Parts: sequence; structure tokens; C-alpha cells
Amino acid sequence: MHADALSALGNLFGDRLRTSLETRICYSFDATRKTFLPDAVVYPINAEEVRQTVLLANRYRFPVVPRGAGSGFSGGSLPVRGGVVLSTERMDRIVTVDTENLYAVVEPGVVTGTLKEEARKKGLFYPPDPASLKFSTVGGNIAECSGGMSAVKYGVTRDYVLGLEAVLGTGELLRTGVATAKGVVGYDLTRMLVGSEGTLGIVTRATLRLMPLPETAATLLAFFPENRKSADAVNAIVAARVTPSAMELMDRTAIDCVQALMPVPLPEGTGSALLLEVDGPEAQVAREADLLTEVCRAHGAIEVRRASDAQGRDELWKLRRSISPALLRVAPVKLNEDIVVPRSRLADMFAFLSDLSARRNVRIVNFGHAGDGNIHVNIMISGTDADETRRAEEAVAEVFRKTVEMGGTISGEHGVGISKAPFLEMEVGPLGVAVMKRLKACFDPNGILNPGKIFLDEAAVRG
Amino acid sequence: MRDPDLKALTGLCAKCGTCRTVCTLYPERKAEIAVARGKVALIEAAMSGEDGDAAAVQEALTDCLLCGRCERACPNQVLVEEIVMKGRADLAEEVGIPAWKRVLFGKVMASPAATEIARKAAAAGQRLLPGKIPTASGLHYRFPDGLGGEGRTIPKLPAKGFIESLGKGEAATGEVMLFVGCVFDHVFPEVGRAAYETVKASGKSVAVFRDAACCGLPAMVSGDRRSATGCAEANVRRLRAAEPGAIVFPCGSCLLMFRRNVFSLIPKGTPAYDDAVSVADRAVDYASFLLSSGVLDRLPDPPPGEKVGEIGYHDPCHLSGTLGKGPEAREVLSRAVGPAFAEMAGADLCCGYGGTFNVRDYPTSARIGGNKVAVAARAGTKVISTACSGCVLQMRDMAARTDPSVRVVHIAELVHQALFRK
Ligand SMILES: Cc1cc2nc3c(=O)[nH]c(=O)nc-3n(C[C@H](O)[C@H](O)[C@H](O)COP(=O)(O)OP(=O)(O)OC[C@H]3O[C@@H](n4cnc5c(N)ncnc54)[C@H](O)[C@@H]3O)c2cc1C
Repeated sequence: MHADALSALGNLFGDRLRTSLETRICYSFDATRKTFLPDAVVYPINAEEVRQTVLLANRYRFPVVPRGAGSGFSGGSLPVRGGVVLSTERMDRIVTVDTENLYAVVEPGVVTGTLKEEARKKGLFYPPDPASLKFSTVGGNIAECSGGMSAVKYGVTRDYVLGLEAVLGTGELLRTGVATAKGVVGYDLTRMLVGSEGTLGIVTRATLRLMPLPETAATLLAFFPENRKSADAVNAIVAARVTPSAMELMDRTAIDCVQALMPVPLPEGTGSALLLEVDGPEAQVAREADLLTEVCRAHGAIEVRRASDAQGRDELWKLRRSISPALLRVAPVKLNEDIVVPRSRLADMFAFLSDLSARRNVRIVNFGHAGDGNIHVNIMISGTDADETRRAEEAVAEVFRKTVEMGGTISGEHGVGISKAPFLEMEVGPLGVAVMKRLKACFDPNGILNPGKIFLDEAAVRG
Repeated sequence: MRDPDLKALTGLCAKCGTCRTVCTLYPERKAEIAVARGKVALIEAAMSGEDGDAAAVQEALTDCLLCGRCERACPNQVLVEEIVMKGRADLAEEVGIPAWKRVLFGKVMASPAATEIARKAAAAGQRLLPGKIPTASGLHYRFPDGLGGEGRTIPKLPAKGFIESLGKGEAATGEVMLFVGCVFDHVFPEVGRAAYETVKASGKSVAVFRDAACCGLPAMVSGDRRSATGCAEANVRRLRAAEPGAIVFPCGSCLLMFRRNVFSLIPKGTPAYDDAVSVADRAVDYASFLLSSGVLDRLPDPPPGEKVGEIGYHDPCHLSGTLGKGPEAREVLSRAVGPAFAEMAGADLCCGYGGTFNVRDYPTSARIGGNKVAVAARAGTKVISTACSGCVLQMRDMAARTDPSVRVVHIAELVHQALFRK
């Protein structure tokens, strides 16, 4: 980076500009575990500083990469072309929780779990609950349009973003959307920014919709002999006209990796498990939990466990929440995909995956949000065996092709980033890509914001 | 970075970010370099030959309280404390250990006689300090400003240490061994004595471990592997030779050293390793020993005096967290002081001491500790009891600075009061 650019940033940020190698290393990674060194890290504390940073970036032509908690699974916050990592860690104020109009205004660095907790204290509910909610930020969630366990009932981050304030690639400060229950004035720029992975604007403030807190909840953990049976149960539950607030599926390989860390006693013959949750008024929850138990049994569940108190529910959830990080105990490198297929095709997809695993001779661990048809397909490899890596990459391409063929999407919630950039066109087509690029040019004509993401950039993909 | 274990240990970090949610230091720093994930990344970079500045990496690794919260929260059970200590030790070989620490850990603290001489010298010098602060837990002096510890207070050092105060031949042999630790011997001998007399009240004969070197934790956390190993080996050899039944530790950090940390200093297959295993098997925390010894059954009825809910318990990170010994101290307290004990607000917040951290960055240490004491005091706690020497030192300083009416004691002092009340 140009020395003048660094000194201008120094004037702006003082000791909140860091250029030491040590700090740069600490902002070179995300949860993909790929690393790209930035040239500098800044910690803005308000929108004006963000704006000034982007103005300088236009002047000196350096990339600006917004970063929340760096927990992304597609490389979104990696500075693949160097430049400045703009960390939102210090923009972490909850500005208001409006209990009359049911919304919250927050800065982007607020941790999702903190917002949920603040809302809860006021009897309100911010539903999005990615498994990373304890550490990932609202800004990151918005930029990836994160989903979560409760998406099957409550939808994803997008469904709770009413309005945004964001710094565009030009350095202009745009306000979009509303703070009211509805609003249709002009194009929906809010939705345009949601899921844009920090490539169109840097969110500096968000107005988020809240709901009344459900009265109570119950959690069930049902063990099945195989994925096909769990998948059938999922469809049967939907057919029974119950909408659980979570329907998570874990296959045997996923359960096994958590077992190594925290043994959960499994019934004999377990090959798959479903974690189900229902929430709402007390009587309804009890009735629905009974119904779910029945449906699971009818579809071959070996055992169904149930918890209604917070601690017991937490125990059941632990199994699910621990899978993702525990995967590393299976193999050091994971190719981590999050495809979505129509719910009715889940069983077919699982059959395809187990065949693929045998055919390509790669280990595949599957779990995910079965209620949404969203499966986290993790291909586990050593990373040191070139042939295995090649087979794994071919397997990924096959999974994506099959997904699109089934009418699904190659990413339900983790975003494109660098890991899915090579497959963008496969899903959205050449015109789709072209229109997206035109939009990008309109928000960020000089390509300042998070370059190398979403659209294919060979250098970045290799890492 | 040459430690062969580091690669495997760091390789388990998924970079998920859970550590950010529990780190004591993160709210102070709000920067990735403060948390486990950042430190792991630094070590990985150093191992892969990234040309960093070893001193700067050491600086980053030193910026950690070793409170262990990240390790306990980590979904992948990454052994962060071990990684950080190994990293510090490796880097210490590259950048060296400051001379004052080398002398302190290698020479002074490794020898009981030298420690005593040092304390006497310090006690004499201390009398020249101008600012005196009487606190509920004893006299404190204001530390002269300009020496890096702005606002720091230090407890008045005693003329005699606890062990020195024992009669010749007193507590030389016994069925139970008491490992007093440097601080409860030389700085707060009243704690050493309270622990000794209450353990003795169990009816068992008690030996006080006299030729104790420092437990080695201060050296270890400073990356001074050689001094730490020296202390550890000498201690386990002598402790085992004394053939005690239980070895009772009033200090949670000393206990951690013998229960866990020695095993990353002393290699498997050596005679010292066997000694370490035998010592670890017998090492117990003070509260657990009291509960098992039946001494509490001899307490008179729940005492009057202190008001309901005025006494709280502070969880030492190593003792309650790493070693999981939180309930035992609470049980002891409920029986010793009755309803005067109540769960304290912020009981499990770290006191911010962190051993050498407190020396290195006193202002931050004091902010964390000051907040800890303030949260408890605001909620009505008048007496903060605990069971670790670092925590007592730190919280007495914090009380002296912010609210001298808050008394900070070791649980042994309360048990002593209850047992021997006239
Ligand atoms: C253990 C684990 C479990 C997970 N579970 C889920 C899950 O259940 N569901 C799910 O959807 N995801 C999940 N994720 C992925 C990840 O947590 C989400 O993508 C999350 O939204 C990322 O948030 P972050 O704050 O870490 O953002 P980062 O990783 O820092 O950034 C993600 C993207 O957002 C951009 N960005 C960040 N802040 C801003 C801003 N203020 N303005 C504009 N752009 C910005 C970045 O440039 C980047 O492109 C999980 C991750 C982990 C490690």
C-alpha cells in the first residue's frame, strides 16, 4: 500500500490503525482457515470514519474489506488482494430497542447473541440464530444473509432487516428501508445489500424487526437407523401441519465426531438423528411435542428424547452446536458446502451423497437444517494428498451440479465468497452474472469494497 | 517456535471465534490479537516461518491472563493455556528472559532462604513509603508513582513469615502435608497460619513443607522453562520423599501447578515424572480436604455476627475453572459462616491478576480487578473470600484503591474464626 495512504489513515485513526505484522496475521483468517495478509487493520468507531476510509481508498486505490467476527465459511472477510481490513469490533452499540414499534437499531459489530439477549430482557425476540450466534456479528449476518436453526419457522436474517445505513464504494452514506412494519417506496435497496458480502456497501447501522418472545419451547432428539428415515420423518412432520422452530439432521459421521469430545449415549443402531424444537404457548408446545414424538416413532425412530427445561434443552442442543468445530478432529481440512434442495428431495440427496463418498473414495460428513432442505456437506481431507484433494474437488463439483439439477441452490447461508465463486455462473447463468456485475459497478465503481469475492478471481480462489 | 507439540495443539483450532465471547481481556482490547484464536494464528505463522519479530509475538502472547475461559468454552477443546505457555517458553529462548525475572525465578524463588532474605529487605524498604492506607484486611502502602504501577498499593510485609514463626521441630513431620506457597508464607502469614491450624484441627498430625521452592507457576507463565522445571522437580522429589498422605494446598494456582502443569515440564519416563504423578495423586485443595476430614462437623452452630449475605466467594480461575473445585469452597463457607455466606455478584469474573500480567500491564489489570470488586461491593458483599494467593493479593490491592472497607480474606481465615471463636 502507498505510504501516503497509510499516513492518511494514521491521521484518521491514530492508534486504531495497526500495521504490525502480528496484528495483520490476526486479521488474515476466517473460519475457512485460509489466510491472506492485509496491509493494515483499522478499527472505526463510527460511520464517518468508515466513510473517510472509503474516500481514502478511492483516492489511493486500496481495497477495503469489512470484517465482523471473521467466522465466515466462504472466505468473505479475507483480504485476498491485501488492502485494509476494516474491523467493526468497536462499533458494537445497541442504539435502541423499541418495545412499542418492535424494532432494534444496532451498530454492525453487535454480536447477534447479545442482541437476542437484550431483546429477550424486554420480552422480545430476534429470531435469527446461526450456530455462530455467540460470536458472529449482525453486520456479518446481514452481509451473508445468515440462516440458522429457526429459519424453518422464522426465516433468515433478510426477513428481519427493515432498514440499513451503509457506506457505498463511492464513500457516500446511503440510508435504505424503513423503521415501520412495511414500506414499498422505490426499489428494495435493503434487500439488495443483504447478502451482498460486503461488496456493495459497508453496513454502519441496521434497523431490525423484533417479535414477541414465544412463551416456551421444547426440544426433542430422535435417533433413526439411517438418513433416509430421518428425511422421511421431516416430510411427515411438515405434512402433519406442525412447523417446528428447528429441524436439524445429523448423520452418523457427524454424531461420531462430537462423540469423541462429549460422549452422548446413543441407542443401538443409530445411523442418523433429528433435533426438533417447537415453541409457542405452553399447551400448544406440549401437544406438538407429543405429535412430533409420534410421527418420529411412526417413521422408524429408535428412541426419542425430550427436554422442556432450559438446561436439558441446552444439553440436547450441544450435540448439534458442537459438530462444526469438532469436524477438525476427523481430518485437518474440510471442504464445507451448504447446499439446499427442495425438502422432498432430501432423501434422494442423501442417497446421492453416500454413493458419491464411496465412488470418489472421500469421507463426507453431513448435517444441517433439514427443515429447510439445507445440508452442510463436509468433505474431509488431509490436505497433503494431492490425489485425494483432486477427488474431493471433483466431488464438490458433482454435488453442486446435482443440487442445481434438483432445483436447489449451491449456498443456503454461507455465501459465495471465494469458495463458491467458480460455481456462480452454474447457478445464476451468464446473464445473472452480467447483471450482478453491472450492479456492483453502480454501487462501487472503482472496485474498492471486498474485491475478489463472489465473482471469479483465480488468484483468490487458490489462496 | 520449535516445540514439537505446538503444531498438533494449534492444528485443532477451527478459528470459529468462540474464544472471543469468553475472553477476560477481549472487552478491554477489542482486537483479535488479545484472544486465543489470534494467538494461535500468530504461533502458526511463526511455525510456518513467517518472518515476524519474535519480541512482538512474545509481547502478544504475554498479553493474556491465562484465566483459561477460552479453553473451557472451546468446542474443540483446544488446550490454549498449554499453547500459550509453550509459545512463551519457545520465544523466551529466542528473545531471552529479562534479567530481573531470571534472578527472581531462578535464584530467589527457587530457594526458601533467599526468598526470606528478599522479603526482609523489602519489608525494611517498605517502611520508607509515604502513603499508608488502612484497609479492612490490613495496612497497605501506596506504591510510588512513576514505577509503572500508577495507583498500586502493596500490603505491609510482615517481619516474620509463617514458616519462620513455627517453633523448631514444630510441624516437621505429619500424616498430612501443608504446601503453604510463597504468598501465604511471606506476604500474608496469617493465611498460612489459619490454614495450618484449621487443617490441624482435623485431628491429623500436620507437617508444613519447609524446604519448598516456589511452585514454579510464575516462572512457567513467564516462559522461563528452566527455572520452572527446576522448581517443579525439586518440589516433587522432596514432597514424595516426605511420604505424606494428602498434600493440602491453600492456593489454587500452586495446586494447578502440581495437578496439571508439571506434566508439561517434566518428561514422561523420567524418575521425576513418577514423583510428579505420586504428588498429583495426593494433592488436594484446602476446601476439599476440610470437607473430607470431618473438621467442619465440629463447628458450633451457625455463628451470629456477620450479617446475612455479607460474605461472598470469589472463584479463582484455576481452582474453580480449570480444576472444577468451586462447589467445595462454597460448602465449606456455608458450614463455617452459615447464612452470612451468599453467592456473590460476579463471583466467577476473573480478578485480573494473571501473575506477571499484573506487573506488565497494571492499569488493565486494575480495571478488570477494580470492576470485579466494585460489582461485588455494589451488590452488598462486605467480605470477599477466596482460595488463591494471586486473587488475594490482587483483590486486597483493588479494595485498598477503591473501597478499603471491603475485606478480602482466604476462606481459611473464616474457618479459623469459626472454629476458634471464643
Ligand atoms: C461454528 C460456526 C457455525 C456457523 N453456523 C452458521 C449457521 O448456522 N448459519 C449461517 O448462516 N452461518 C453460520 N456460520 C457462518 C458465519 O458465522 C456467518 O456467515 C456469519 O454471518 C458471519 O458473521 P461474522 O461477523 O463472523 O462476519 P465475517 O466472517 O467477519 O464476514 C462475513 C462477510 O460479511 C462481510 N461484512 C462483515 N461486516 C460487514 C459490514 N458491517 N458491512 C458489510 N459487510 C460486512 C464481510 O466482508 C464478509 O464478506 C457459522 C460459522 C461457524 C464458525
